[in-house]
Amino acid sequence: MSEQITFWYGCNVLRHGDIIHACLDILRALGYEPAPVGGVDYCCGTVKDANQTAAGGMATRTVGKLNVRAAPVVVWCPSCHSHMHDFMARANDRHFDMTYLVELLHAKRERLATLLVRELPLRVFVHQHIGFNDLVPVNRMVPEILRLIPGVEVVEADYVAPGYMCASFAAIPQALEDIHNNTARSARAAGADAVVTVFHQCYRELVGLDAAGAIPVCNYIHLIARSMGLAYEDEYKAWKRAGEGAATLIGAERIAKVGIQFYERAILPELKKRPKLLNSDPGS
Amino acid sequence: MSTRAAIGQRLKEFEEREIERILGACTRCGKCYEVCPMAHYSKAPASDSKAIVGGVHAVLRGEAGTPEALGWIGVCTRSGVCVPACPENVDPKMMMRLARMTALGGRGLPAQLPAKEDPDYFDRVRAFAKLQLSDDELKDWT
Repeated sequence: MSEQITFWYGCNVLRHGDIIHACLDILRALGYEPAPVGGVDYCCGTVKDANQTAAGGMATRTVGKLNVRAAPVVVWCPSCHSHMHDFMARANDRHFDMTYLVELLHAKRERLATLLVRELPLRVFVHQHIGFNDLVPVNRMVPEILRLIPGVEVVEADYVAPGYMCASFAAIPQALEDIHNNTARSARAAGADAVVTVFHQCYRELVGLDAAGAIPVCNYIHLIARSMGLAYEDEYKAWKRAGEGAATLIGAERIAKVGIQFYERAILPELKKRPKLLNSDPGS
Repeated sequence: MSTRAAIGQRLKEFEEREIERILGACTRCGKCYEVCPMAHYSKAPASDSKAIVGGVHAVLRGEAGTPEALGWIGVCTRSGVCVPACPENVDPKMMMRLARMTALGGRGLPAQLPAKEDPDYFDRVRAFAKLQLSDDELKDWT
């Protein structure tokens, strides 16, 4: 009988429906019955540093909703996970066990290995940060998980980015520019074919390297999914690569759901954004 | 206490206890600043690591922070290198997060740093959900 869990995916990973869907299939294949929850109504409140009344209200609401579900919670988002650990659970009565997805996949790696049937001949550079690793040792666990995939070789990383992920850098553009350049340079120097991110926030940022032609970028879930034979399309990457032309891929019907004006003002600039690379030849 | 006033009250009480603990435990040795990989991105880099931590303490107490302290608070992205560097187990990452909340005006004190909130943040999350999930998934998952 499958174990029922709540899969709390967070907010911003909603850019990547393929990652959410793949996570659910992976969890099911590992013997779980995941109930996915996320989006604005399940926000952890970590983005509200400037308003702790709002942050506290969001935290209490979300802990309460997760309590009602009465199932262990598996978390995708590192912001949600660390905010629950650092703040939400300290100021609310949490009645559920909580695990970060990487921890669960690592604990179930023997079973996961049997599902990874398709060979992916790829040398990958795992993009690492410092901050979150103290809470969950993802910098060790993700490479160990990736090495279960037939054909995947994880190269040694000589660059670890500051911060706990590639978010919170909006006000420090030089730092993000350095992360882009150092990641691409280190990956190429190590002979990697691709950069693999752990967090969706990093993927959202670094996929710009892919769109700019510097180096292919994917998330570790993409590789697990491909090796399992799951066929979800990474639409965000396609939109990002298309830039101005993304509307054609998205289609008029879907754009109408969000409103053309909102799409052009709040979504299209993100899809068109490219990293500032130091070298004029993006692939060198 | 009215319902509105009670919103977030436990979180604020926790933060106040944490600030009291941090101010009591930190000796201002400056090790956290010395190891910070983000410090050089500050608009006002400091040469005196002990003094800058004193400036962070001032912010936590609700007093005016020095330009160096506010510059450092403004570039903290929770790298966490400071945590093992601290000889007093203060948890400087928590210290800086609380200082950031305070400096942004989040704890009800006058803001000392501009809050650059993205007005489209939540609407953008909702929009991507509509672009990526089916109508049934939207209804059941969000």
